[in-house]
Amino acid sequence: MRWLQLLTASLLPLTALAAKKSSGDRFNDFRAKSSSGPLTLDDPAYAQLTKAPRDYSVVVLLTAMGARFGCQLCQEFQPEWDLLARSWSRGDKKGESRLIYGTLDFEAGKNTFQSLMLQTAPVVLYFHPTVGPNAKADNQPERLDFTGGPQSAEQVHAWISRKLPADAPKPAVHRPINWIKIISVTTAVLGLITFVAVASPYVVPILQNRNLWAALSLLGVLLFTSGHMFNHIRKTPYVSGDGKGGINYFAGGFSNQFGLESQIVAAIYGVLSFATISLALKVPRIKDSRAQQFAVFLWSGVLLCMYSFLLSVFRMKNGGYQFWLPPF
Amino acid sequence: MAATEGNTLLKQATGPNIRGLLRVIILVLIAGAAVSSRLFSVIRFESIIHEFDPWFNFRATKYLVQNGFYSFWDWFDDRTWHPLGRVTGGTLYPGLMVTSGVIYHVLRFLTFPVDIRNICVLLAPGFSGLTALATYLLTNEMVTSPSAGLLAAAFMGITPGYISRSVAGSYDNEAIAIFLLVFTFFLWIKAVKNGSMFWGALTALFYGYMVSAWGGYVFITNLLPLHAFVLICMGRYSPRLYVSYTSWYALGTLASMQIPFVGFLPIRSSEHMSSLGVFGLIQLVAFVDYVRAQLPSKQFQTLLRALVLFIFVVAFGGLVLLTVSGVIAPWTGRFYSLWDTGYAKIHIPIIASVSEHQPTAWPAFFFDLSMMIWLFPAGVYMCFRKLTDEQVFIVIYSVLASYFAGVMVRLMLTLTPIVCVASAMAFSQILDTYLDAKTPVPDSKESGTSDTAKVAAAVVVPEGLRSTRSPLVGIYSWASKLTVVGASIVYLMLFVLHCTWVTSNAYSSPSVVLASRLPDGSQHIIDDYREAYYWLRQNTPDNAKIMSWWDYGYQIGGMADRPTLVDNNTWNNTHIATVGKAMSSREEVSYPIMRQHEVDYVLVVFGGLLGYSGDDINKFLWMVRIAEGIWPEEVKERNFFTPRGEYRVDEEATPTMKNSLMYKMSYYNYDKLFPAGQAQDRVRGARLPAQGPELSTIEEAFTSENWIIRIYKVKDLDNFGRDHQSALTFDKGHKKKKPAKRRGARVLRVE
Repeated sequence: MRWLQLLTASLLPLTALAAKKSSGDRFNDFRAKSSSGPLTLDDPAYAQLTKAPRDYSVVVLLTAMGARFGCQLCQEFQPEWDLLARSWSRGDKKGESRLIYGTLDFEAGKNTFQSLMLQTAPVVLYFHPTVGPNAKADNQPERLDFTGGPQSAEQVHAWISRKLPADAPKPAVHRPINWIKIISVTTAVLGLITFVAVASPYVVPILQNRNLWAALSLLGVLLFTSGHMFNHIRKTPYVSGDGKGGINYFAGGFSNQFGLESQIVAAIYGVLSFATISLALKVPRIKDSRAQQFAVFLWSGVLLCMYSFLLSVFRMKNGGYQFWLPPF
Repeated sequence: MAATEGNTLLKQATGPNIRGLLRVIILVLIAGAAVSSRLFSVIRFESIIHEFDPWFNFRATKYLVQNGFYSFWDWFDDRTWHPLGRVTGGTLYPGLMVTSGVIYHVLRFLTFPVDIRNICVLLAPGFSGLTALATYLLTNEMVTSPSAGLLAAAFMGITPGYISRSVAGSYDNEAIAIFLLVFTFFLWIKAVKNGSMFWGALTALFYGYMVSAWGGYVFITNLLPLHAFVLICMGRYSPRLYVSYTSWYALGTLASMQIPFVGFLPIRSSEHMSSLGVFGLIQLVAFVDYVRAQLPSKQFQTLLRALVLFIFVVAFGGLVLLTVSGVIAPWTGRFYSLWDTGYAKIHIPIIASVSEHQPTAWPAFFFDLSMMIWLFPAGVYMCFRKLTDEQVFIVIYSVLASYFAGVMVRLMLTLTPIVCVASAMAFSQILDTYLDAKTPVPDSKESGTSDTAKVAAAVVVPEGLRSTRSPLVGIYSWASKLTVVGASIVYLMLFVLHCTWVTSNAYSSPSVVLASRLPDGSQHIIDDYREAYYWLRQNTPDNAKIMSWWDYGYQIGGMADRPTLVDNNTWNNTHIATVGKAMSSREEVSYPIMRQHEVDYVLVVFGGLLGYSGDDINKFLWMVRIAEGIWPEEVKERNFFTPRGEYRVDEEATPTMKNSLMYKMSYYNYDKLFPAGQAQDRVRGARLPAQGPELSTIEEAFTSENWIIRIYKVKDLDNFGRDHQSALTFDKGHKKKKPAKRRGARVLRVE
């Protein structure tokens, strides 16, 4: 048995040599393949790229681009990722940073996803070199989750730069000039100016219409005072179920609301305001006395019912509130 | 009184003198109601300064009163932001302190021996009375009906939206700023109406006062130019507008530049560029207006118009260029987050972490404004009826302020005045129409003619609103009058009840002193904050540095009079992140940080025993986030969440969480209060691990009665040069772990 051990021991440096040789080749091979943009990987290529003794770093995006996954984030991030990889390889032509970009789609790399036990996509993994001057003992890749929403190429660039050794070159992200956007914006602006010049005789009277502006400002006021901006910023759900198959129109809690809820409240405010306007401005202008009497009772009734309903809704939101009006 | 002339309805009953007297009495009563409804907190608790920021203002005022104005102006405060210090005199809005200083000296001159604290406590209620008066004046400029002004004053006096920031003891910039805001708007309207340089200069004067008092002056800086701009766009340019705008802008900008904190911002920052731009535009428009009057040639006018457009475009381009090249500072973060609502969340967590910078849900609007929230749109609609220059102002103000109040809770304060004005206009319109009952008018004819002014207006303005096209008739039957007036009275009383209830329940707690109800209904005062701060004051050396989260910096400075590392003036994000890092790291990491900053004591707020939810564990994630912004490699938010993404403090909390200094300080010795394994956190409803955390580098110094405040002393270096962990194990009698030095071959032990 002893000679076997000796033999193994004597072989060890050889294997190391072989590994090192092939790994140097591996880096150049992969770099040659990835001259423009990230490498497109599959399971074997991924395993080959991230095999244990390596003297280069690897950063891999694990994504799910297939339409049936409906991964919005993946679709959004993909162009950023390609841009980052492209500008990196362009800025680092000699490969001094010893970094390889790769993309592994779920379709091509189901086994890898399973072995990593990934539940979500996209994920960016960063592999330290295991041999060479910047090696780290820990073979576990570092992981960038997209918990904070979509990331830009610059943010990921900053993340990768922190992982790389300080002296490695870190070519900045170079965004190509978006000619299409510039041209389309210019065309649109010119078109708009032309449109305004041509259509002004027809548009100006509409723009000067007082009723239009009144409607617009009232709409704005109602929208904002019923908490539309809250929905917009917090991205609240429109409605939610009550767990019994029905719908909850009103969210529980004082500083919480649904999209539909704020629309209902805006409608209540609108009706109340309209009733007030009618009572104040329209009713005194009705010439027929019986019609006027009817209008007064009608609008007063609407006002009372709506206000009472509003109070009851508010009592629902704020448990300690104690004021109420008759019907509700 | 200008408004008396317009009043033709009540003429026969009383003479103008009696009406004037009545009005004065009513206004005084309103001011009295406004002041007294803000005194709940003084009556229930005591005359004490509230919350956080007021404590700094109070401390600054005391400094001003003791050392005089010039030394206040040059004040360098070395007891905050240790070891950096803060150039306090140059980084605050001095208006509030100077105001109370002046009041103090006047009262002293009149030989009233008043404590400066009482002036500070009662300043906000006092100014709320003045705000009611200013609202009355502003509303009177808008409509002819005299009752609208009084209603608006009453609304403004008691509406919770304003009371929330002006109860007795809430000694904050807003206390005087809202009065200045409303009064500046009144002067501006007056200036635009009269085209008088005098009123314009007065506007500038009060604008300067406002700049010295509150950062929200930017609202005025942008609203007045917008008003002028809209008027120009509507083709309503007039020499009146020119005179009032230019005199306000020139004098007001000079006045605002006198405040060291503002300095050259009015010509260098984007927030102020709109007023500069409109100033340029109005010069051009005035020039064109002048030339048009002189030269009737049509071609020349076309040329002129092209020239004006060209200059405008070039000027605008120059502005953009200057902004891009950095000569003009871009939008400040706080301001920018008003437009791009996602901005603060991503880039400035320190702004996003403040609860009053959150967006407003609808219940908050109703809570603060009650019935006025639906009268408000009606009032805005009524402005479109005649749409005079000043009513355009109301419309612009309403839409803008609604937007801002929706984006940020604290800006509800700027919305409140215009809501009061607009809803008072709507309500008084109803009352004026239906309270005609006092004049015994035979049904059809008389009431129609009694309001000739309105009929005439409706005829003169043919392209008015849809709802006011037909001529005004009046109300025929008594039944309708009684119905509407009765309902109005009920609504008004409900409004008063609502306001009183909200004020007494929600806005009158000093938050320094908490109150709770015992089972028998009696009140129980929880006074942990002051207990702890006085402990610091009496038991620590005068220059002991206290580290705490920035929320408590002002209170420690004000009540304990000890130097702090960070406080509520969040001018240095890195320093705050340093404290965040110390709180969220392991003890071995935190200890060097605390030594480097010469920290003597660490203070944490812990609500677990009492169920007080505003404690540091609940704020902890913000500390982590802010620290992560500076040291993304060393502090990671992800590590504070369990694999399932939950934020927990119990047995399943992550190791990073359990080892963080904040967690250890909060729960140290907490399990000793309970039977073994029964320790319960009442805020988060969690059962804590049976084995409590252990501290090695700091030791417990003080814990308040209800455990809300816990103070720890940072240990000095060990006498024998050991690290604290091994010193602790030695003291406990554990055997010292030998460093890995193996002697001889290892032997398998068989037992």
